[in-house]
Amino acid sequence: MRLLSALPENMSPLRLCVPGEKLCSVGDCNQGTGVYQRHGYIYSSLAGYVMRKNEGEELPVISVVRETEALLLPDVGAIVTCKVTGINSRFAKVHILYVGSTPLKDRFRGTIRKEDVRESEKDKVDIYKSFRPGDIVLAKVISLGDVQSTYLLTTAENELGVVVAHSEAGAQMIPISWREMQCPQTNAKEFRKVARVQPEYLEA
Amino acid sequence: MAGLELLSDQGYRLDGRKATELRKVQARMGVFAQADGSAYLEQGNTKALAVVYGPHEMRGSRSRALHDRAVINCQYSMATFSTAERKRRPHGDRKSTEMSLHLKQTFEAAVMTQLFPRSQIDIYVKILQSDGGNYSVCVNAATLAVIDAGIPMRDYVCACTVGFVDETPLADLCYAEESGGVSSLALALLPRGGQIALVQMDARLHQDHLETLIEAAMTACKSVSKVLDEVVRQHLQEASVLSRE
Repeated sequence: MRLLSALPENMSPLRLCVPGEKLCSVGDCNQGTGVYQRHGYIYSSLAGYVMRKNEGEELPVISVVRETEALLLPDVGAIVTCKVTGINSRFAKVHILYVGSTPLKDRFRGTIRKEDVRESEKDKVDIYKSFRPGDIVLAKVISLGDVQSTYLLTTAENELGVVVAHSEAGAQMIPISWREMQCPQTNAKEFRKVARVQPEYLEA
Repeated sequence: MAGLELLSDQGYRLDGRKATELRKVQARMGVFAQADGSAYLEQGNTKALAVVYGPHEMRGSRSRALHDRAVINCQYSMATFSTAERKRRPHGDRKSTEMSLHLKQTFEAAVMTQLFPRSQIDIYVKILQSDGGNYSVCVNAATLAVIDAGIPMRDYVCACTVGFVDETPLADLCYAEESGGVSSLALALLPRGGQIALVQMDARLHQDHLETLIEAAMTACKSVSKVLDEVVRQHLQEASVLSRE
């Protein structure tokens, strides 16, 4: 949709390709997404359009894109948006909804441990004063998890934490500090670990 | 044994095909909107429907998750109306389980599972009408469904069932030929590299004939891959025209 209509000038015209099709040799281009390398050649791994992006001095990056969104899994170091589903004194359970700005088709489960909520005074954290069920939280993935656990997330940075929360009265609260949010209806203050949203993401 | 000749003197088979001729292949991709990927494929009278979900979080026991790859979960089933006699076919019967395992092994060879650690890809195939070559038709349908879902693969996986009669390999067996006592071999191939993903045979064959039979199977698979290629390109063209409007 938007993909085909908004072509920047530094891309050559698109052509179709299928999985297993030889695109070019390793010396001609760098590997992007949707391709793989074998025996010195780059092959396509998806059915879609070949995109060759020229980036100045370096070799062009070749990738294969589809019409619909690419499949995405939360990766280590990715910023994800999640919704808190349950809390107890040691951790908070969340459902991961978005990776970056791409929505996931299927929600993945994650955990934010007590010691990963904030940078300072990690052992004195009270989960009930940091998150509540239903909060929307920005977090970063630190581990894919092992046999016992799900994705492990952290909010131990200024830009991470609760972005949207509802008060006990049901209204959406306004952040007043990195630790508190206030309900506009009842003027009651509630404790949360609030994210400091970057100015460019705030609407004027 | 008296009965129909599997290969006549002029070189024609029971349904009028020559020895190396495949049945007519018709396929469509994207038949289900709610699944991540789906495809319907007919090879002669054998009809199969394949549906793919994933990659998604591991369902059921998390202990089965692999730390560096995705787990492929295949399920093969036949509709109760798919054979000449309508039979009750529970999902857990031995043949279905064996077929599901073969499909799983075949796709583990082709799908790039290292890109999706700790997740699961589900492939469900159902035979709607069975007229021989069940495994091959399933593999071909599932390949199209996986491509439709946008899951990265090294190459297409094409499969064909071949048999050996009167010193001649017959490509793409139908039910009458399979049950007529032909030694049949099923082969799944990644056509561009010529790599074999799976070979399956449970009949008796003289070892001298094996080489010829495998060669014939590989040639047949390459012909199937050309047809599937056409289908995929056609589907991509249609999808792009629709989205441009």
